[in-house]
Amino acid sequence: MGAALRRCFLQLSEFQLSRVLLMQEIRTLLISPALWIMLVILSLLVGYSFIQAVELFSQASQTALSYPELASGMNPTEGVFVPAFGAYYLVETLLLPFVAIRLFGQDKQNGTLKLLLQLPLSPFSLNVVKLLAMSVVWLFILLPGVSVFIIWQYLGGAVHFPELLTLMLGHTLFVLTIICIAMFATAISDTLPTAAMICLAATLGSWVLDFAAGEGGWMGALGAWSLTTLLRQFESGLLSSDSIASFLALSLLFFTAASVLLHPGRKLCQKTKPLFVAAVALLFVVFTIMQVPQYRDVTENRKHSFNPADVRALQQMNKPLKITIHLAPEDGRLYDLEREVLAKLRRTVPNLEVVFANTQSTGLFGASENDNYGLIEYEYADKHDMSYSNSSFEILPLLYALGGLKVTPDVIPSYTGHPLVADASNSKWWFYLLLPLMFLLSAYLFRQPQFLRRQ
Amino acid sequence: MSELFRSEGISKHFGMCQVLSNISFSVYSGEILGIIGPNGAGKTTLMECMTGLLPFDKGGIYWKNRQVSPLLAKKFIFYLPDGILPYAEQRAGVVLRFFQRMYGAEKTELNRLIERLELSSMLKKQVYSLSKGYRRRLLLAIGLLSPQPLLMLDEPFDGFDLRQTLGVMELLRETLAGKTLLLSIHQLTEAEKICDRFLLLNTGKVSAIGSLEQLQKQAGLNGGSLEEVFLAIV
Repeated sequence: MGAALRRCFLQLSEFQLSRVLLMQEIRTLLISPALWIMLVILSLLVGYSFIQAVELFSQASQTALSYPELASGMNPTEGVFVPAFGAYYLVETLLLPFVAIRLFGQDKQNGTLKLLLQLPLSPFSLNVVKLLAMSVVWLFILLPGVSVFIIWQYLGGAVHFPELLTLMLGHTLFVLTIICIAMFATAISDTLPTAAMICLAATLGSWVLDFAAGEGGWMGALGAWSLTTLLRQFESGLLSSDSIASFLALSLLFFTAASVLLHPGRKLCQKTKPLFVAAVALLFVVFTIMQVPQYRDVTENRKHSFNPADVRALQQMNKPLKITIHLAPEDGRLYDLEREVLAKLRRTVPNLEVVFANTQSTGLFGASENDNYGLIEYEYADKHDMSYSNSSFEILPLLYALGGLKVTPDVIPSYTGHPLVADASNSKWWFYLLLPLMFLLSAYLFRQPQFLRRQ
Repeated sequence: MSELFRSEGISKHFGMCQVLSNISFSVYSGEILGIIGPNGAGKTTLMECMTGLLPFDKGGIYWKNRQVSPLLAKKFIFYLPDGILPYAEQRAGVVLRFFQRMYGAEKTELNRLIERLELSSMLKKQVYSLSKGYRRRLLLAIGLLSPQPLLMLDEPFDGFDLRQTLGVMELLRETLAGKTLLLSIHQLTEAEKICDRFLLLNTGKVSAIGSLEQLQKQAGLNGGSLEEVFLAIV
């Protein structure tokens, strides 16, 4: 009998074993109260955010319908979907780690891991299976978001799919990273509360770091790697290879660390070597990708791009372009300059250097005593010019003059916006009652033995 | 009987504490070897070291005279830890069916074990809600479903009354047709009834190894129970 069993065991491929294990992990998730509680809270939060967003969008649309020039500011992704998905950000940051930690950590706590590690599956395979099981959770999590999309369409709202898909891609990558952090936290902790604390420290710490992202210095550099900062690019409709690579690299790093550290039978020295190799390899890959960054502006109003003719002209400016800015980091003009001009120039001009001059606000009411304050200097091919403007309409001609270029903007259809006056208050029945009830009913059904017998 | 498995000079320390010192012994095909020792003797640590669940400092393990990496020992050895609750929130029936599928065991074998271990009435109950005895039976069923030829069970009779213990002993004897058993036991009466040979472990060191008769001679006793032998030697 034993020999026959052994033959069966060896005949089962890693794929077949992984499939059986995947079903078991999904079952574990589906009977977990934490998952359904999170989904109920998500439904309430998304519903509230959506109804509020539609109300504000409608109020703004009423004015825009009377004054068509204001309509170009009415973008449904910015006005409705990003605020509604703001609820997702909260749940992904604060609640999802608990669901993930429960899945990853319980095996360790109740001893199941000791049985799983004796299967002919590597710790990497075990973690891949758990990651796949969590992707089922992601499908459930998407339900309120999909509802937002359907209800918005039913209300007659416009949807620009590339923007919406980019937003969802951003959240998917964000969730992937959070799950991998949770996996890592459980691998290095002995108890679930400790793992939860480590994971929350990482997610909340990243959120705090986001505030530092706009500042200079090492805090600013660190802040640029904040998960929230990375997610914001997707929310704004900018698809960049840097952000995708950063999310994937962070996920892969934490996943590798979690998988290497999972097996208690390896000595510490056996664990540190592959970890070090993985970290160096990932850093190298990310660094390489960052050397040739690729961007795609998926917004309908092309808010991240200059006119195509401007882009072609700026790409021809191969010599070093140096911009010296005499503005304090906290100055609002710098924020506009960064958003409207510098960010676009960084993605377009091949050889750009931005320098911040020393500006100290020591004068009356914090104003600078420096006469140059507010000035922006441009140096290109031994030519020099300066301006106080932070608008692309003034800065681009100045740059073309330095480069000796003449640019005639391409004719592109102007964005007219999608104002909509609608009432989404009836959707409260769906988000506040029906969807939560559906989740609670599912939680009940999945815990019934009848359901399990059918598996 | 031919040698199936051998441990040579396994040593392990946790911080300043030496928990295993130079543990060497052999397990022969088709026998039941009992690792006997008081609580804290190092029985569980030894089992976890041999199955690659804990790294050891020195020594090696051999399968049919060939040295194997502890991390690959899972190909030949299945270790059933004590006090674990696999998939605690799931129904016992689901957990058993899962392990049956993972181990590639026949469904008839699972049904036989459910019947023999009297688990039928517990299949719909969640694992965490089972009593200590039923938890132990569930674990035993999982262990007996495993396909590896050497089965290591940590405290297999803990939580059983006398009648249940005898039933489990009978079941374990039946499995000897295809498996070799290594049992960690601290109840000497039960150990004496089921094991062919004994490894006496005390404070992480092998005090003696052999059959009851051999141990009696080593202890200088003319007869006597395992308990008496153990006290004389340790």
